[in-house]
Amino acid sequence: MQGPLIDTLVRQGVSRRTFLKYCATLASMMALPPTAGRAMAEAMAASRRPSVIWLPFQECTGCTESITRSHSPTIEGMIFDMISLDYQETLMAAAGFQAEEALHNAMKDNYGKYLLIIDGSVPLGVDGAYSCIAGRSNLDLLKEASKGAAAIVAMGSCASFGGIPKANPNPTGAVSVSDVIKDKPIVNIPGCPPIPVVMTGVLAHYLTFGKLPELDDKGRPKAFYGETIHDRCYRRPFYDQGKFAKTFDDEGARNGWCLFELGCKGPVTHNACATTKWNGGTSWPVESGHGCLGCSEPDFWDAGGFYKALSMPADPLKIAAAAAVVGAAAGVAVSFANRAKKGAAKAAHETTTLADLEK
Amino acid sequence: MSLDAIPIHVVNMPPAEPGLTGNAPPLLREIAELLHRLLESGETAAIDLSALPLTPADLDWLRDKLGEGEIAVTLQASGESTLNETACPGVWWVTHHNERGVVASQFIEVAFVPELVKAHPQDVEIGLERLELLISDL
Repeated sequence: MQGPLIDTLVRQGVSRRTFLKYCATLASMMALPPTAGRAMAEAMAASRRPSVIWLPFQECTGCTESITRSHSPTIEGMIFDMISLDYQETLMAAAGFQAEEALHNAMKDNYGKYLLIIDGSVPLGVDGAYSCIAGRSNLDLLKEASKGAAAIVAMGSCASFGGIPKANPNPTGAVSVSDVIKDKPIVNIPGCPPIPVVMTGVLAHYLTFGKLPELDDKGRPKAFYGETIHDRCYRRPFYDQGKFAKTFDDEGARNGWCLFELGCKGPVTHNACATTKWNGGTSWPVESGHGCLGCSEPDFWDAGGFYKALSMPADPLKIAAAAAVVGAAAGVAVSFANRAKKGAAKAAHETTTLADLEK
Repeated sequence: MSLDAIPIHVVNMPPAEPGLTGNAPPLLREIAELLHRLLESGETAAIDLSALPLTPADLDWLRDKLGEGEIAVTLQASGESTLNETACPGVWWVTHHNERGVVASQFIEVAFVPELVKAHPQDVEIGLERLELLISDL
C-alpha cells in the first residue's frame, strides 16, 4: 500500500503503522468489521482520489476549525489535506481570481465525480444577497456546484438543518442544503461543530466503498448518530436512580449526578459525544458538568432553552394564554398572579432565581 | 394481596459472578473456528471487541481464559498499542491507546504474526536506502 498520502504522513512523522492503527480504530468506531479497516487504509492511501470541493456559506468557520485544528495536528487534518482538497477558502494558499479559477477548473475536470462539502446555511432572503462570494449568491453557487457533484456532504448543523442563522426570527431566510438540492445524495453531518472523526469516517467510507454510509431519516450516518446521548451517557445510573443536580456546582453536581434538571437535551439528541468524546477523548460537555445543548438536532436554538429541563413546557406563557381563551377563570388568574409576583419581586427588589423563572 | 406475597423463582440462573453477561464464552468458539481457518488456509482474522456487548467483567473473564503467552509487543504509534500473545499461540490480544492513554479500540487477532508487527516492504526499502547512505558515510 503506497501512494502520496503515506509519503506525506511519513514526512509529517506519522508512520505507516500509526496510519493503519488509525484506520483500524476508525472502522471500529463506525461499527465496520476489521477487514473494512484494512480496506479503508488501502483506499485512502491509493493514488487515485476524488476531488473534494468545500464551499463555505453562511457559517462561522467552526466546522473547519473542528476538523483541521486541534492543539496538535491530527491525522484527521492531515488526511483531509491530502484528499486533493481543490477548494477550501480557509486552508488554500490561493486567493482572489486564482482561487476562483482553481474552483472552476476542479469542477470542470472532475465533473460528475467530485465530492462537494457545504459548510454553513444558504440564505434565501433578498434573492440570496445576504451571503455572496465573488459577487455570486450562495444559492447560485450551490446550484452550480451540485450539478457536477457525485455526492454532497452538509457539514455542521447550519448546512444540515439551518443552524444558528435559521433561529427565530431567521432574518436572512436561511435554509439547509437539503432544502435547496433535491436530486443528489446528501449526507448531513450535524453538530455545532461536528466531532472531527465523524467527518473523516464519512470520507473514509466514501473513498473505500464509493458510496455514502447508511443514513437515518434525517440523513445522518447511523454509525455516529444512531444512538442518543442519553443512551450512552455515563451519568445514566444517576438518572435512573433519580439523582439530579439542582443547580450548577451544588452537592449533586459535584458528585456527578444527572444534569437533566439543568436542561440537558441528551435524551432527544443523536450524536456520538458520549462515546467518542471531544479533543481526542479528553471529555465532553456532560462529563465537564454542563448539560447537552442538543446541537446536532434541527432547530436546537429554538428548543425552549438550554437550561430548561426537557420535562418543562417550552413556552408556559403561551399555555396560560390558551387556557384563558378556553375560558377557564383559573387561566386568567394564573397570568395575573405571575404579573403580580413579578411586580412584587420588582418592588421588593428580590433577585429572580432559576426556580422563579420556571414557575 | 400485595405484590410482595407473590413468590419468585429464577428459572435460568445467571452466572454466579456479577457483571458477567454470558456473551464471552461464544467468543472462544469463534476463536477456535478462526484458528482452524488459519491452519487450513493461512487466512488471518480479527474480532473487534468494542463492537460486541461485553461488560468489563466479560473482558476480564475472556482475558483470564485466554491467558498470557510468551510475547508482549509494545507499539509506539500516536499513543501506545500492545499486541500480546495469549496462552494460545496464534491468538493475539491487541489494545490500541490514543495519545491521551484512552483505549481507542481492542481486537483479538488470529494470525501467525499480527498485521501491525510485520514490516512493510516499502518501509524496508526506505530503511535500506538510509542504511546504505550511513554505510557510505563511514
